[in-house]
Amino acid sequence: MAGSALEVSQLSRRFDGRQILDQLELSVAPGELVAIVGESGSGKSTLLNLIAGLDQPDGGRILVGGQDLAALDDDARTRLRRAQLGFVFQSFHILPHLRIGQNIELPLVLLGIAAAERQQRVAELLAAVGLAGRAGSLPRELSGGELQRVAVARALVHRPLLVLADEPTGNLDTETAAMVMRLLVAQIRGRGAAGVLVTHSAAAAALADQVLLLSRGRLHRQGPDAR
Amino acid sequence: MLWIWWQLIIRYAWTWRLRTAVQVLAITVGVSLGYAVSLINGAALAEFNAALREINGEADAVIEGSRTGFDEQLYARVATDPAVQMASPVLATDVLVAGTPDEYPPRLTVLGIDVLRAAALSPTLMGDRPGTVDSPASRFAIFGDGILLSPSALARFNVAVGDLLSVQAGGGTVALKVRGTLPGVRPGSLLGVMDLGFAQWRLGGLGRLTRIDLRLADGVSLEALRARLDLPAGVNLAGPDATGARLANLSRAYRVNLNVLALVALFTGGFLVFSLQAQGTLARRAQFAWLRAAGLERGQLKRLLVAEAVSIGTVGSVLGLFAGAAIARAALAALGGDLGGGYFNVGQPVLGFPLLTAAGFAGLGILAAVAGSYLPAREAAHTPPAAALHAGGAEEVLRPLGRIWPGLALLLAAGVLLTLPPVSGVPLPAYLAIGAILTGAIALQPRIARLVSRPLANCLQATRAGTRAPMLLLAANRMVQAPGAAAIAMAGIVASFGLMVAMGTMVSSFRGTLDGWLVQVLPADLYARVGQSTTDAWLPPADLQRISTHPGVQRVEFSRAVPVQLAADRAAVVVVARMIDAADPGAALPLVGSPLAWQPDMPPPVWVSEAMVDLYGAQVGGMLELPLAGRLQRFAVMGVWRDYARQFGSVAMRAEDYQRLTGDRTRTDAAIWLRLGVQAADVSRELLQTLESREVIELRAPDEIRALSLRIFDRSFAVTYVLEAAAILIGMIGVAATFSSQAMARSREFGMLRHIGVTRGQILRVLALEGALATVNAIVVGLLAGLVIALVLIRVINPQSFHWSMQLIVPFGLIAGLIVALLACATGTAAIAGRRAISTSPLRAVHEDW
Amino acid sequence: MLTRRRLLLTLAALAAPAGRAAVSYPQVLPRALVFPQDFGAHPDFRTEWWYLTGWLGGPAQPLGFQVTFFRSRTDVDPANPSAFAAHQLVIAHAAIADPARGALLVDERIARAGFGLAETAVGDTDARLSGWSLRRDPATDIYHARIAARDFSLGFTASASAAPWLQGEAGLSHKGPEPLQASYYYSRPQLKVQAQLERNGQLQKLAGIAWLDHEWSSAALAADAAGWDWIGMNLDDGSALAAFQIRSGQAGRPPVQTYAALRAANGAVQLIPPAQLGFTPLRHWNSSRHRAAWPVAQRITIGTRVFETRPLMDDQELDSSLTTGAVYWEGASELLEGGRPVGRGYLEMTGYPEDTRFIL
Repeated sequence: MAGSALEVSQLSRRFDGRQILDQLELSVAPGELVAIVGESGSGKSTLLNLIAGLDQPDGGRILVGGQDLAALDDDARTRLRRAQLGFVFQSFHILPHLRIGQNIELPLVLLGIAAAERQQRVAELLAAVGLAGRAGSLPRELSGGELQRVAVARALVHRPLLVLADEPTGNLDTETAAMVMRLLVAQIRGRGAAGVLVTHSAAAAALADQVLLLSRGRLHRQGPDAR
Repeated sequence: MLWIWWQLIIRYAWTWRLRTAVQVLAITVGVSLGYAVSLINGAALAEFNAALREINGEADAVIEGSRTGFDEQLYARVATDPAVQMASPVLATDVLVAGTPDEYPPRLTVLGIDVLRAAALSPTLMGDRPGTVDSPASRFAIFGDGILLSPSALARFNVAVGDLLSVQAGGGTVALKVRGTLPGVRPGSLLGVMDLGFAQWRLGGLGRLTRIDLRLADGVSLEALRARLDLPAGVNLAGPDATGARLANLSRAYRVNLNVLALVALFTGGFLVFSLQAQGTLARRAQFAWLRAAGLERGQLKRLLVAEAVSIGTVGSVLGLFAGAAIARAALAALGGDLGGGYFNVGQPVLGFPLLTAAGFAGLGILAAVAGSYLPAREAAHTPPAAALHAGGAEEVLRPLGRIWPGLALLLAAGVLLTLPPVSGVPLPAYLAIGAILTGAIALQPRIARLVSRPLANCLQATRAGTRAPMLLLAANRMVQAPGAAAIAMAGIVASFGLMVAMGTMVSSFRGTLDGWLVQVLPADLYARVGQSTTDAWLPPADLQRISTHPGVQRVEFSRAVPVQLAADRAAVVVVARMIDAADPGAALPLVGSPLAWQPDMPPPVWVSEAMVDLYGAQVGGMLELPLAGRLQRFAVMGVWRDYARQFGSVAMRAEDYQRLTGDRTRTDAAIWLRLGVQAADVSRELLQTLESREVIELRAPDEIRALSLRIFDRSFAVTYVLEAAAILIGMIGVAATFSSQAMARSREFGMLRHIGVTRGQILRVLALEGALATVNAIVVGLLAGLVIALVLIRVINPQSFHWSMQLIVPFGLIAGLIVALLACATGTAAIAGRRAISTSPLRAVHEDW
Repeated sequence: MLTRRRLLLTLAALAAPAGRAAVSYPQVLPRALVFPQDFGAHPDFRTEWWYLTGWLGGPAQPLGFQVTFFRSRTDVDPANPSAFAAHQLVIAHAAIADPARGALLVDERIARAGFGLAETAVGDTDARLSGWSLRRDPATDIYHARIAARDFSLGFTASASAAPWLQGEAGLSHKGPEPLQASYYYSRPQLKVQAQLERNGQLQKLAGIAWLDHEWSSAALAADAAGWDWIGMNLDDGSALAAFQIRSGQAGRPPVQTYAALRAANGAVQLIPPAQLGFTPLRHWNSSRHRAAWPVAQRITIGTRVFETRPLMDDQELDSSLTTGAVYWEGASELLEGGRPVGRGYLEMTGYPEDTRFIL
């Protein structure tokens, strides 16, 4: 495995003739948390989709844990995501008819992990996000903040190399947002994963190791000191 | 995967219990109807075959003539042939039983047998004669006069052992003493057994046999025997299954039609599964996208959704099998083995539950569910998860539905299929064409919806009507922007409505044409008939005289109907000998096309029914050979006529030719013209007092015959109506379920509308209007498809399976009624579905992503 | 088997006494028998049979055989013109008695007369039924028989060396006390037989000696008759013995009718007065199939001569339920006089099973 969790080089993506990403470079070391900020439509989600292998670049290379995504077919990319990536979305994407525990358990199921271990890890994660004992609840019984904490737990339960978070606090009020964000960062760091956090919240970005501004298709360093 | 299947599919199904129930029900109804019809047909056929075995016994082969039989001297030749181990002569006579209160005198099959020979081949025909053992009236009772009756016949004709049974056989009435019972005969079978000698004497069959049952010597093949025997014309040697095969052939078209109708319900059910599955997949697209992002492979997702369909199909099919068995049981009890079709003259069929059939229908049910789910599943698996992870764009997924080429390809395929000939007498290609037309129409529906709604939306936009009816504008715009969603909801409706229009049009055309035909073929004032063409009874000679000389009668035309066997595995063809002017046959027969002019140097002229052309290749201007009076006689085919009364072919010839060629002077029918001012009812009453055959003769005015015929027609189509109703019911349930789930899926949209000040009532109105617009669209498409399918039924399927043509008569009233009912139903359903959707709080609805 | 039973019952109805038949049967009145005319059938009479019994093979492995053709006129309405009307029935029985087998090898046939399939000809002996036949050649006075039975096939010629032996009073044989209880009856004893017998695929050529009875009648047995015992014996010295008794139905009562006659080798006939005639059972054999104790060995006293019969085997019971309905014992038997074999022939017994019915 190469030294970095994520290595993006020369990444380009066009949509309808518009150059969204242009020769973009990004490197994330293991255990590093990178925040990407930018205006709406600047291509933040596109970048995340490309990193996740959900979208195909027009040029450039993406290495996740040293694996070149371009060398993989759809199913192989899917398997890579399954094992190495965790996701947190703005709209929590908690499956409504599964219980909380089952939602968190899902990535482990996809990885074929035995039931006993699944139960143990789900319990651990639930405790970590402060929802111990809520495994049997249904999503509709939880508040937005709680749902996002479930999403955080789900993103980390399978011990991914890299967690991708797309506006994880966008649907939350400020107080809850801060709390979820702290939790997300603490969990990513605590579990030795790397993280790419797309946000337009300065408070959220402040928690990252480095903050990059996505503008005109490129990333611009904006270290915490820049503010 | 099992965990995911259980957690995602089954839990989802449980969460959306109603939606799941509707899908399961759609499959259940289809499978149950198909299975029930197949069970009933199977039971009726099996019963018929069992009854046949009972009569034919364990014969290896049968020599059969037509109903009129053959010279008994053949028996001496056959019985002494070294290739024949045992020969059992039979004279089967279908007599009319007099003195019953029935509308038509009931028919009784009487077998004249040689008990000493039949014992070896047909043990069930051995009777039980109470009293002959312990206090015998005669030591030769079994060779004596009188008849043994099956238990059902005893009950049906209300006679007991020792009573007299009065029957019309040939031209006379005979009283037969009931000498005993046939306890071995199956319940429901109306059968009598007489000693052959007395059957020949009493029932007017001296010198004749109709059948010889054979047991062949070891190692003799049927072909070898056929070559040895050199049978006379019209007499066939057949294997033991020939009669069963003939019945199977005879009723096959009818059975296939019923089965296809039953499968239509399943077909519609498949579309319904499609509707709901497409809807359910759309509603879950964000979930599926997340799953894909989280590492579920494309193939796994597709398999998961197919597994979902298989689950629905399996549950639906299993329930359908149970329901089908129950329906079959109930229908048999209520309608009898032929479901009112009149093909099986059998008693009480016993239902068997063949595993293979059950498996077949379960497979069809699952297939329908999978076929309905496949497109949505494929679509879901191929949706780029990145797009689906963000809300909206549902219509994007449905864009493939808007493609025009699959629909056009299907219609083209239908066109090709329609040019293909039937497969062993069953118009399978035409049925497939119907499926293709329907599917094609449904596939084209989004395009048509957009075509229809765009002008409406533009018009509303441009004029003041739009501002006055903003809700209509909203609804019309949605139709333009999201025709796929409406198309999905309406697939089931297009299918069921289209088929309903098709069947309704076909039945109405048939009924109307039949009615017109009846008027045409019944020009006289009064009709007399003894027996139908399938019985061995005719008008007594004295009665011919009595009818002709009745003071009220101006003119009588007598005719004779006699069945002739042209092929061992086909139903008999009826030869009708009547007064026909060779120079003007159209005066006597409802001709199709123009006849040829007959010249005296030609063989005697005949005019054949349409079935003769299809089944036996008779050609106008060609020759036809008919076995009459034991000889093959040549006739010149001069024209084709329409005969709805005899599906398996009939040949009309001049009475004088028939009489000259056969020497048969008997007559079965009389068309009577009355003098001016004479009432048919009076003549009929007077004749009924004086005629010898008064107990069995049917004297009817043409109106009465028409009414009776139409009543029989309606009864035989009753099952058709039931099956159609089932199809439309499924379609309706489909609309309700699809609208309901679409409305649920749009709760965010409604929440937004409520935010911007749209009232709850207005939202309901939008939904109702959308429902109405979608339904109008479905009706337009369904109507077009239905009329095309009706043409296929009338021009292709009916001629191919029943060998008759008819005019197209569109039942405007029925269709209009259907449209109104459908509109009301769909609009109401849409609104009711919406009520549930907007009951969610608008605040929460906006927050929800799905 | 149910259906077979039913057929059995219906055929058993044949055995019932005559009822209100519209058919009138001629009476048996004294007349001179005329040959060859009387070799043939007499279809007006109710019942007629040609009964051929005999022995085949050498002393080491003797076999008995029986071939019988019955003709029965039914009470079917004579006005019925149908060729299938069962005015006449033809029935045939055939049996082989082989001590090695221990029971009879039998087969039977029944059919209504007609279509050349089943006939008993008028004019000379010529009976045929479904491939079985018995025919007299008028030129040679030799009987030809062909029997293709289920388990065996038998063909033979039987040649007579003497004129028919008229039984009773010049061929009129009394069967009861009433004058009309009688039959016409002649015998052809001492027939020389050349036979071909095929069993189990093996063909045997056998010579032997046989006896033919031809009898026709319209009358039933006397009301109180239970059955009969009959013998027809070819004696080794060329003479022949015919005897029968018609037993009374009441135990202990004397027979209804008895008859015996001896014909010497030169043709001289000696009628035995009934008073000098006696049948005495010597040994009974109990049938396992029917509840009957058959006196299979009998002592027959004719004047001063005392004969005994000894069966070739005990079980020669013949169940003809499928045709005539009767169960009878028709057995090849030796005739002994003073304990010494003097002749061979057949003993026939009817009426012993408890539920006996006669047809003919």
